[in-house]
Amino acid sequence: MSQQFADAPDKHIPTNSSLLTKRSTYIYASVAIISLLGLADATYLTIEHITGQSVRCTIIAGCSEVLSSKYAVVGGFPLAMIGAAAYFSVFSLATLAAFGYRFAGTLLNLLVAAMLLVSLWLVYLQAFVIRSFCQYCLFSAAITFILAILLLIRWRKP
Amino acid sequence: MKRILPFLIILSVLGVALGSAWYLKRASITTQPRSATGDTPRPNIPSLVAPGAEPPHTMGPVTAPVKLEEFGDFECPPCGQFHPVLKKMHDEFGDRLQVTFREYPLTAMHPHAVSAASAAEAAGLQGKFWEMHHLLYDNQKTWHGQFDVRPTFEGYAKQIGIDVERFKREINSDLVARRITEDGKRARSLNVGGTPTLFMNGREMPFETIINEDKFRAAIKQELESAKR
Repeated sequence: MSQQFADAPDKHIPTNSSLLTKRSTYIYASVAIISLLGLADATYLTIEHITGQSVRCTIIAGCSEVLSSKYAVVGGFPLAMIGAAAYFSVFSLATLAAFGYRFAGTLLNLLVAAMLLVSLWLVYLQAFVIRSFCQYCLFSAAITFILAILLLIRWRKP
Repeated sequence: MKRILPFLIILSVLGVALGSAWYLKRASITTQPRSATGDTPRPNIPSLVAPGAEPPHTMGPVTAPVKLEEFGDFECPPCGQFHPVLKKMHDEFGDRLQVTFREYPLTAMHPHAVSAASAAEAAGLQGKFWEMHHLLYDNQKTWHGQFDVRPTFEGYAKQIGIDVERFKREINSDLVARRITEDGKRARSLNVGGTPTLFMNGREMPFETIINEDKFRAAIKQELESAKR
């Protein structure tokens, strides 16, 4: 009886995910949890952008040069807002993938690959074009990098 | 239940994210204005407000009904954007405004901020603070990217017609350094978190108000109205 209880958590995985290993589930769950950090970071930056606070030079964050640059807005939307949407999508897809939805795993790989490329481009812009670093933007890039590594580990050893 | 569980989790996270965003936005807008006179008690902030460098750099009469005090960093881009707005208000309202500038160089981000503040203060010792202040802001983009700003600042000193040799001596003087420190102490005592920060008759103005010409003008007019009463 006690053995049954110990096994209970694994039985959350629906039958259509019988191919999904425990290891993949853990990786997807980690991706979902880590993406929440990115979501929080991007949400905070979006609000700071909208209210104009982050556009000031502050004693703690070095974001004014970055967020007041032309690269901080894409098609009229703050880049941070697009980032928040991307992290929310990552969270949703990773959650679905952890519950055994296989299509979500494929979409997740594509999305994180795209986010990694965008993050690399943004770090390049901060380093060589704007020549100022915003720590919130760097934090976001680090989160994307970690997500990519996790998915790469899962992909290499499915 | 198992089938809808992931969707419930996703919806919950969406709800929390939107709720936090709404709360952050509301908190940012309804931030309590802080008083520069120190007469209103504020939590976690020393009640004693440092006076800043004496005499301060001011434009406009001491009897002006609306007194503006800016904490600025010459290398900070938003300060550069705010400069023409403040200048325009000063031109429009004339003697009804008194503008004070306080040095608050954010050295961690801006390598030339202290040099620029020192250049303005050194020019101030020869009675040309505002001339240097305007030149530094107007040409911020030029010197911001330079490795050595000294020749540029010396060029500005020459342009505004002050004794360049004296300027070169005084830019590194204790007096100039002390003035910047005193202004910095005042900024700290008022809990100034960034630049530009503007106090109008002792109350901190929201950044989104002062950076918008129309909103800023309306705020000054309102202050003038209440000063009449």
